[in-house]
Amino acid sequence: MTSRDIMALMPLIILAGGCVLVLLAGAIKPGGYLYEFAGALILSALFSTLLLPVDAAMPGLAITPFSRFCMLALTSAGLVALLLASAYNRRREIFGEEYPATFLFALAGMGVACAATDLLMLFLGLEAFTFAFYILVAIKRGSSKGGEAGLKYLLNGTLSAAILAMGMALVYAARGTLKLAELASSNGSQEPLFLAGGCLILLGMAFKLSLVPAHLWTADVYQGAPAPVTALLSTASKGASLAALLLLLPLFGAWHGLHDILWLLALLSMLAGNMAALVQSNLKRMLAWSSVGQMGYVALALVAAPAGGLRAAVFYLVVYATAGLAAFGVISVLSDEQEFETIEDFHGLGYRNPLAGAALAVAMFSLAGIPPTAGFMGKFAVFAAALRGGEFVLALIGILSALVAVYFYLRIVVVMYMKTAAAPLERGRTLNWAETVALIIPTLIMILLGVYPQPLLELMEKILP
Amino acid sequence: MLASYPLLTILIFLPLAGCLLLLPLWNRAPFARLAAFGVAAAELAFAGWLYSMWRELEKVPTKLPGYLLMEDTAWIPSFGIRYTVGLDGISLLMVMLTSFTFCVALAVSWRAIKERAVLFLTLMLVMESGIMGVFLSLDLALFYLFWEIMLIPMFFLIGVWGHGRKIYSTIKFFLFTMFGSLLMLLAIIALHLLHAGQSGVATFALPELMHTRLPLNTQLWLFAAFFLAFAIKFPLFPLHTWLPDAHTDAPTAGSVVLAGLLLKTGSYGLIRFGYPLFPLAAQAFTPLFYTLALLGIFYASLVAFAQEDMKRLIAYSSIGHMGYVAIGIAAWQPVALSGSILQMANHGVTTGALFCLIGMLDERAHTRDIAAFGGLWGKIPLWSFFFLIFSLTSMGVPGLNSFVGEFLILAGTIKQSPVVVVLSFIGIVLPLIYMVRLVQEVVFQKERQSLVLEDLCSREMAILTALLLLDLWVGVHPAPLLDMIHLPVQLLTGGGQ
Repeated sequence: MTSRDIMALMPLIILAGGCVLVLLAGAIKPGGYLYEFAGALILSALFSTLLLPVDAAMPGLAITPFSRFCMLALTSAGLVALLLASAYNRRREIFGEEYPATFLFALAGMGVACAATDLLMLFLGLEAFTFAFYILVAIKRGSSKGGEAGLKYLLNGTLSAAILAMGMALVYAARGTLKLAELASSNGSQEPLFLAGGCLILLGMAFKLSLVPAHLWTADVYQGAPAPVTALLSTASKGASLAALLLLLPLFGAWHGLHDILWLLALLSMLAGNMAALVQSNLKRMLAWSSVGQMGYVALALVAAPAGGLRAAVFYLVVYATAGLAAFGVISVLSDEQEFETIEDFHGLGYRNPLAGAALAVAMFSLAGIPPTAGFMGKFAVFAAALRGGEFVLALIGILSALVAVYFYLRIVVVMYMKTAAAPLERGRTLNWAETVALIIPTLIMILLGVYPQPLLELMEKILP
Repeated sequence: MLASYPLLTILIFLPLAGCLLLLPLWNRAPFARLAAFGVAAAELAFAGWLYSMWRELEKVPTKLPGYLLMEDTAWIPSFGIRYTVGLDGISLLMVMLTSFTFCVALAVSWRAIKERAVLFLTLMLVMESGIMGVFLSLDLALFYLFWEIMLIPMFFLIGVWGHGRKIYSTIKFFLFTMFGSLLMLLAIIALHLLHAGQSGVATFALPELMHTRLPLNTQLWLFAAFFLAFAIKFPLFPLHTWLPDAHTDAPTAGSVVLAGLLLKTGSYGLIRFGYPLFPLAAQAFTPLFYTLALLGIFYASLVAFAQEDMKRLIAYSSIGHMGYVAIGIAAWQPVALSGSILQMANHGVTTGALFCLIGMLDERAHTRDIAAFGGLWGKIPLWSFFFLIFSLTSMGVPGLNSFVGEFLILAGTIKQSPVVVVLSFIGIVLPLIYMVRLVQEVVFQKERQSLVLEDLCSREMAILTALLLLDLWVGVHPAPLLDMIHLPVQLLTGGGQ
């Protein structure tokens, strides 16, 4: 391993090593500045990704422009989620070094998943961060909802891990290699064993991305987990899973069944997600179901992969993740002893707490795809790709289900600005600086990307085929 | 040279920039009102200045024939979206109408909006920018963007400051519009891709897309999506059901902007984009368009007759009047089209004035029920005078603006479709019935409830006088405005055969 390789791996080293350091620091000085320390580590991982522009390839891992972009996005999301967690955890009495350490471990796992070049590393990365989330989801001891969510996630997650592993084993059995590049370039006939393995892998990935029919865990886990954890789970982990899926897609070559499977996943997710979100009375559950629908749009872009759909998918995911961070961010800054999550809680919020209200409203408009927010540009990219790929039917269904989605997103805005609370309005909690920053960053990004997305789109063109 | 300044960008974004002025005044509503009105007035002055200059501007050729000013910059090259804005006679008329209507709307809500006043003013200015953008965009994606942006402030306007079933109404308004818009978005992207396939140039620019060769079948599908979006805004029967609800529950300023401008974006979109992009399909749609317009005229007039709420009555009459605009567009003939464009402005003035008047009455009596009033002529003569005049305008009395527009529309259409004109002449009588009933019951009949009402204050007088002057100007001497839209109309209808 040369010094070049070490420089290239620096962000991953910082995150993984930082996880151990935080654990040690917690043991030496309990209750010290652990969140500040973890934040500094994430920040340095972010800057080393930015400032050390080194590409490198080593066994199992390759630092490419794509993986560096993913790392950048992941650490940024991680930073916001950590800012949210620092104040939230103090209020909810989640003490100790477990949280920041596991948090860093999750980010390191995500980074590995985006940079993997063979199936084994990919599996390792994916399961590393999923494993970290089993802990984070249930981190609030004594919370029955958190425990339930953790158990559900664990059961579903191990099932999907088993499916994923089985798929990879079948692929290995069929082709005799685990290297992604070799698997993709071997132009052998698409033998049944390989395809069976490939389909199992797709199913496992559908679980991670919560695409229908592997979505059932989403609502319960999003609801039961502490809000800052959901903020990370619904954004960064989705991003890392999409990156991993993009690494896997070339395996299938020109097999047409892939198109059909993705088509079906997209259709079912858009319909089921948006319909189910319509009837939720709990914001976290509503966002969970709507994220199923949102992932349907990502899948719609993937269906049109030959027509530039990959870029659209990644762009859409970035846009979605920004809005998701803001929305779950608002929930976590408002949660005191209780999670602030039923729709009634939000009555008149726009006036009680203008910043949180504005952030949530912008997030809702962005998720609904209404300009001048980033969501519109995301929808635009996805539908342009879908039509270019000739997917008229799916695009039409997608746009009509987007109309359904407009309704339930607007409902939140209506509640915040047009209804007054039944109980006399108490002023909302005042936010500390970390929370203020954590809400302002994604809100600004949503507006900026909505008005001028060109730089990000150009970057997309550089890093993706 | 004048044309080298970004005049149009200033025109679009001046109100938005004006919002910054309101930020330091967040807790001082009276100053914020003045500031917002100042911004709107500056915009009006700017539009007026452009109007006074249009003959000069015409002498300087722009990239497109018929355009007075154009600006074109790359914006999102990855999507092929450019920032292309252009001003021709039609846009200039709409820009003048917009800046004027916003002055009226801000002035009329001076007292009425007390809660969260600065938020209200901010939204109004944002909406003004959005509407300006709609009337000036020449890039379809840019147009769509502004088209959607103007919805958000209106959504809040009705939902926050409205009355009655405001939340139901505002959601209905938003979803109806979104339904059409989203399908139009698909059609815009499809057209863009078809054009890119033919010419290899990825663009959303209107002048380029007009050269796309499309078979009739494709045109029909794409035009249907555009038509749906514009018909909902128009609103054409049977897509009009959102409008009475939105009007009834909106605050006066919201109603004025809704009737004066948002409806016009539908007809404007059809004139600027729908017909030029898909001429064959538009021709094929003409019978349907005529039928829906006529049905709308009759249906809305009959329903208006049965209304007890004055505002709802005017809302329905608004649908009827827009039916004439629709007929003029469907004829797609220079005289009729000029009439339609003029009538768009006229309708903004007349209906805006009627909504203002009803809003003023509502502020005093706290009811809009026709049965509650009577004998107002004796009690508030100034209000009654203006109400009478604008009702007469709505009925199409010569010398007032509606007559000119409707006359041109019918005169232009008669050669092509005499049957339609005959039927719409019958339709012209209908407003007479419901407006006479309204005026008779509210203004002249014996007093039914003893209400203590104050007559108009000087602010209200000023608003209504300005509206009345415009009404009379167009009614008596519409030639300057017709001159201004003459060339673009000729170009649109194909050199004026």
